[in-house]
Amino acid sequence: MAPVVGIVANPVSARDIRRVVANATSLQVTDRANILLRVLAALRACGVADVLMMPENGGIRSHVERGLARARAQGDDLYPAIHAVAMPITGTVADTHRATREMRLAGASAIVVLGGDGTHRAVAAECGAVPIAGISTGTNNAFPDHREPTITGLATGLAVMGRVPPHIAFRGNKRIDVSINDGATTDLALVDVALVTERYIGARALWRTENFRELYVTFADPEVIGMSAIAGLLEPVARDESGGLMVRLSPAGRTPSDGATILRAPIAPGMMASIGVTDWRRMPADVAFVPEVASGSIALDGEREISFTTRDRLSLTLRDHAFRTVNVGGCMRFAAQNRLFTDAPAPVSADF
Amino acid sequence: MSENPFPLSKDDLLKAYRTMRTIRDFEERLHIDFAKGDIPGFVHLYAGEEACATGIMMHLNDNDRIASTHRGHGHCIAKGVDVHAMMAEIYGRSTGACRGKGGSMHIADLSKGMMGANGILGAGAPLICGAALAAKVRGDRGVGITFVGDGASNQGTFLESLNLAAVWNLPVVFVVENNGYAESTAMEWAVSCDSYVDRATGFGMPGVTVDGTDLFAVHEAAGEIIRRARDGGGPALLECNMVRFYGHFEGDAQTYRAKGEVEALRASRDCLVMLAERVVEAGVVARDELHRIDREVADLIEDAVRAAKAAPLPAPSELLTDVYVSY
Repeated sequence: MAPVVGIVANPVSARDIRRVVANATSLQVTDRANILLRVLAALRACGVADVLMMPENGGIRSHVERGLARARAQGDDLYPAIHAVAMPITGTVADTHRATREMRLAGASAIVVLGGDGTHRAVAAECGAVPIAGISTGTNNAFPDHREPTITGLATGLAVMGRVPPHIAFRGNKRIDVSINDGATTDLALVDVALVTERYIGARALWRTENFRELYVTFADPEVIGMSAIAGLLEPVARDESGGLMVRLSPAGRTPSDGATILRAPIAPGMMASIGVTDWRRMPADVAFVPEVASGSIALDGEREISFTTRDRLSLTLRDHAFRTVNVGGCMRFAAQNRLFTDAPAPVSADF
Repeated sequence: MSENPFPLSKDDLLKAYRTMRTIRDFEERLHIDFAKGDIPGFVHLYAGEEACATGIMMHLNDNDRIASTHRGHGHCIAKGVDVHAMMAEIYGRSTGACRGKGGSMHIADLSKGMMGANGILGAGAPLICGAALAAKVRGDRGVGITFVGDGASNQGTFLESLNLAAVWNLPVVFVVENNGYAESTAMEWAVSCDSYVDRATGFGMPGVTVDGTDLFAVHEAAGEIIRRARDGGGPALLECNMVRFYGHFEGDAQTYRAKGEVEALRASRDCLVMLAERVVEAGVVARDELHRIDREVADLIEDAVRAAKAAPLPAPSELLTDVYVSY
C-alpha cells in the first residue's frame, strides 16, 4: 500500500494572552495555510501521493483549497491528493484526538503536525506507533524544532517512502504521564509539567511566576523559552538522554537573603522573569514522583489544564521512548550523504 | 466555606452571578413577552453570552465607555444600566432609559458610560475611538470597549477603527463576540481571513481568543488587556467564542442551525450553570446563596415588567424632542 501521510493543522494555536502580556507571535491563518502548501509540495516531491487531513473550520482548509485551485489553474501538479478525515468538527481539542485516532487506524505512515506544544501533545496522546513530524506554529514551543517546514516535509516524505532506514528516520521521545487519584484522571506532557498555585484554568497561559511551585521537564534546554528554559538554565538535559529534571520553585525567592537561587529566565517571548529556585534534581524514567504542592493547577506544556485540591493524589512519571518523531536532521543528512536528491543516487551505505 | 481558589473574592463571584442571572432572566422574559406581542420593534437576545459582558465589565468603572451592538441588553446590564429603565425602554414607555423612543437597539445611559446599543452594524467602533481619544487627551485613564459580532467585523467602520486606534494608540478594546453566526451566515463563508485575531494582527495590535462561556477565562484575559490599555499600552482585540441560545432576532426560524444544536449547547455550554457549579463545587458559595439571588432577580424582572406596562407611552407632542442635540 502506498504510504499515506496524515496532517493535523490547528487553526487556533498562538491565540492566547501571551500576545498581550508578552510580544508573542500571532501567526495568521493564511501563513499556516502557506506552510501547509509548502509541506504538501515537499511530500509530493518525495513521491507521497495521498494525505489525510484533519477537517477544521478555522480557515486553514479553505485557504489550502484556494492554493490548490490556483496551482491547478496554472497547470501545476505540485501537490498530493488531499482527503479529509470523515468526522464531525467540534472546534475543540477533541478534533485533534479524533483525527489522530482515525489516521492511525487508517494506517498513516506519519503525521505532520502544525501547532504549538499543546497540539503536539494532543496528537501524541493518540498516535500510538505512528511517528510525528512537528512544525511550530504556537507560542512557547519547545517540542517542535524551529525550521523551515519544507525541510520537515521533505524529511517526512523520505522517511515514509522508505528512502531512509527507520533507525535513522525516526527517534524516540520522552513524555511525563500525569495520574490523579490512582488513574481516575490521566494526562500527559511532552515537555513540562508545572504545578502552580492558581486553582482555576482561566486564560490558561503561565506568566505569573510568583505562583510557580514545582516543575518537571522531559528535557531541559537553554535554547528554548518557557518552562523548559527554567530547567535548562539550571542543568541542561538533552532530548535523547534518559530521564528529565525536577525543579522546586520558591515564591519568596525574590531576594538572595532567603536562600533561594534567583534565576532570570525567558518564560515567554520577550519576557524575562525572576524566579526563585529552591533546588533541583534529576527525574529518572519510570519513577513516580509525588508533588509537594497540595492544591492548585497542573499546567501541561505551558498551559493550565487541570485544577486540583488537597483531596487529590497526584503522581508524575517520566517515560523514555514513549512515542516516535521523524528525525528531520537525520533524514536530511542521510539524503545528502547518499545523494537522494541527485538524478543518479549513489548506492546507499552498507548499514542501510 | 473552603478556601477560595478563584481570582475573584466571594463578593465579586456573587456579584458576577447576579449580573449573569439578571441578563439571563431579562432575556428569557423578553422572549416570552415578545412572542405575546407585548413589545414593539425588534429584539435580539443575549441569552447564553452572559459571561462575556460580565467578565469584561467587571474591570470597568462609570468613567469607562462602551459602545454596544443591536444585541446590547447584556452589555447594558453588566455596565450597570438600571433594569427598570431598560425594560421600560424596550416596552417603549416614557419612563425608559431614552424616554421610550429608542427601544431595544438604542438603549443608552451616559451616566454609566454606556454610549448606546446600536442598530447599525459596526457603528460602535468609530464612536468608541472618539471616546477613547477623549480619555487619552484628558489623561483620565479611561478606556473604551466596543463590541461587534462576527458579521459586523466585516464592516468598513470596524476595520477603519482598528486602523485609527492603532495609529493613535488609543485605549480601546475591540471585543468580537463570536457566536458562530453572522445573522444566519456561518463565519467560514463570510470572513476572508477566517480569524478575527488575524485582523488585529494586520493592524499591528495584539489579538487574543478565549472561551467566552468561561467567566474566569474572559475575566483574566480582559483584565490584562484593559490594564494594558489603561496604562497606555494601546488597543487590542479580544475574541470571545460563545453560544447563542436564541435566534438572531426574536421570530427567527433558525433553519440554518442543526437540529438539536441549541439543546446541546444549553446542556453543555451554559455559562451560568458552569459558573454556579464551579463555585458551589469548590465550596466557596452555598447553593442557597445562589437560589436567593435567583429569587431576588426574578422579583426584579417581574417588577420591571409590571412597572413598564403601567408606565405611559411617550406623548405625541414629544415626537421631535430628544432627536438632535445642540452643542
